[in-house]
Amino acid sequence: MTRTATASLATDLDAYRSSLRAYLSDDDTLDRWRGKHHASTEDRIAEHAALMTHLHEHGWNRYGWPVEAGGLGGDERHRGVLYDELSAAGLPVPDPHLMLETLGPPVVHFAPELAARYLPEYLRGENWWGQGFSEPEAGSDLAGLRCRARREGDHYVVSGQKLWTSHGATASRFVCLVRTGTPESRHRGLSMIMIDADTPGVSVRPIALASGYQELAEVFFDDVVVPADRLVGEEGKGWAVAMYLLQWERAMYAWQSAAVSLRRFRELLGQVAGKPLPDGAATRIGDCYGDLVALRARSVQTVRRLAAGETVGPEASVDKVLLASAEISLHDLARDLLGTDFVFAADADTRDWLADWWFSRSATILGGSAEVQRTILADHVLGLPKEPKV
Amino acid sequence: MTSTTMDTATAELLTGSLRELFAGSAGREVGPALAALGWSDVVAEDPAGATTLLFTEHGRALASSPVLDSVLLAELDPVLPEGNGTRALLYPHPTHGDQPSTVDGPVHGLLLAGLESVDEVVVPVRANGSVALLTAAPGSFTTEPVAGFDAGSGWLTVTGPQPSGTPVPAGDAWERAVAAGRRALAAEIAGVCQAALDLAVAHTSARVQYGRPIASFQAVRHRLAEGHVAISDIASMLDAAWVSAGNADGGAWAAAMAKLRAGRAQSEVMRHGVQVLGAMGLTSESQLHRHVTRAGALDALLGGHRLLSETTGRALLAGAPADPVVEV
Repeated sequence: MTRTATASLATDLDAYRSSLRAYLSDDDTLDRWRGKHHASTEDRIAEHAALMTHLHEHGWNRYGWPVEAGGLGGDERHRGVLYDELSAAGLPVPDPHLMLETLGPPVVHFAPELAARYLPEYLRGENWWGQGFSEPEAGSDLAGLRCRARREGDHYVVSGQKLWTSHGATASRFVCLVRTGTPESRHRGLSMIMIDADTPGVSVRPIALASGYQELAEVFFDDVVVPADRLVGEEGKGWAVAMYLLQWERAMYAWQSAAVSLRRFRELLGQVAGKPLPDGAATRIGDCYGDLVALRARSVQTVRRLAAGETVGPEASVDKVLLASAEISLHDLARDLLGTDFVFAADADTRDWLADWWFSRSATILGGSAEVQRTILADHVLGLPKEPKV
Repeated sequence: MTSTTMDTATAELLTGSLRELFAGSAGREVGPALAALGWSDVVAEDPAGATTLLFTEHGRALASSPVLDSVLLAELDPVLPEGNGTRALLYPHPTHGDQPSTVDGPVHGLLLAGLESVDEVVVPVRANGSVALLTAAPGSFTTEPVAGFDAGSGWLTVTGPQPSGTPVPAGDAWERAVAAGRRALAAEIAGVCQAALDLAVAHTSARVQYGRPIASFQAVRHRLAEGHVAISDIASMLDAAWVSAGNADGGAWAAAMAKLRAGRAQSEVMRHGVQVLGAMGLTSESQLHRHVTRAGALDALLGGHRLLSETTGRALLAGAPADPVVEV
């Protein structure tokens, strides 16, 4: 790609879209990533990372990220187009892009020097990060977290435990929310810090979902020494960083999920074509398609707002509720249309639906449960009388 | 890129004018009142914003008027011979789904208001799989007020013999008219739903049980939050649907999806609304029942949500592409 083409694609979204679309339909080497089945999460991520490397060679996944962090300029809309076009071309959205969307923006914003150092290799698919927020005692009630970082000179010493870390078993770094204040300081005494997975004292235990896939992990920190320049944002300002991060976690994940779900919906219709379907299947299919389109319609507005530099507040919980509804709807539809095959068949297509079905159950739990989202809307959007504090 | 170009201040000003208008006029007075307001200029300036605003307020006020006719007739008029005077549109009767009656049977349809001051009724008919248009004198039909669930709609059921004359093929115009009508109805349903949710929020915030407002109980709060999600869903679907409104088919597919989602939303908002109002929700003493019945009637017009789900699903099973509808 020439330098001029690069510059104009960063500012001309339609040109980026059409060039990318043409590329995705022309490059036969991409067939390696089409219609693939993976025996494990580890295999899948490695293969997806190879797709990132391939896309990076041609520059495609660098749009939407600042030049200083290894990108080629542009904004969230470029990333949205990438996920959508990959899906339309029958390709996966590379798994590492999931956490990139959540962790990349706050690191770029609050720690540009860390972004300059580490984001380029992430975009190249060489490694990826995990998010260390939840703990055994702090799930929905995140401000109760206890993983502790104690300042000693120009280092922090981190001790504690993180739980439910997506891609945790293979991540090279963890961006963690840790307590630097007193145990009672709640959200005021938190800081965000980036910790390398190969630092002495870090140990990771993968957690297998009911499908057998190790999508999550538990991470232990035993007096782990982390340079103080690994802070993302100032000490004690971790909650603000986390709230900033949530905008992308809610909005970009919703859009990624919408893009991927539409591809899976198409694949499902192809897989059940010509087979006998249960009563009411047409209505279920129409309803599910409506769920997917509704998510897209809502999510695209939020992606555009982020791209325009607007702050996305509690109303992003609407996106999250629609996302969860769409994920649950699609995978329940797949289960019902596949019928007894879903329970008894062992072919690769069905096994993927089984694994995805289990993972889809996390849509109403991770990143703020369905109940938390509704409470946010009740409190901050509808302004209802608060629930009494116990 | 949202479809509307209206700024907030203009929207607020126009909302105020529309609320006054619907407080003071109904039925066939609404058209002239809108004309006096210069509404056609607002529509010309910003079709998406103006239409959504007008019908949202129509819904919020539970207004009864044939103002929807003007939306569909704007697409149909160019196909018809030069008209004389005021036209009204005969809508497909919901018992036939979203299709007009066939050309070889009797006419069966709905009017949104009485035919006083109407000079000509436009009657869509189905022949050989496509829709053609006839015009008829207002006196040629038997009309009966719509009874049943929504007694306040002011709508009329029409029966009668097929009008004489040669049907004019509507071409794409009927599809465009239905698409435009569905976008307007989705906005109207959103207005009815928002008014119902406002009632539910006000009631549950004021009503005290166990020593605190019932809106402080999680079960109630979550129902109201789901109502809010459903209404927000209509708004973003409408924005998406307006993007393709200028296509040759009037953006029919996306408009159907907007109407489908609006229909589903009203079902959800009303279910939650009736529940959280306690016994009040099912009495005639609360206003909520009027929202429940109006939303039900609007859902049925030009294709209810169950019908649209089924036809969409059948189309997809028959190989229609799963259109992404929305692009970044």
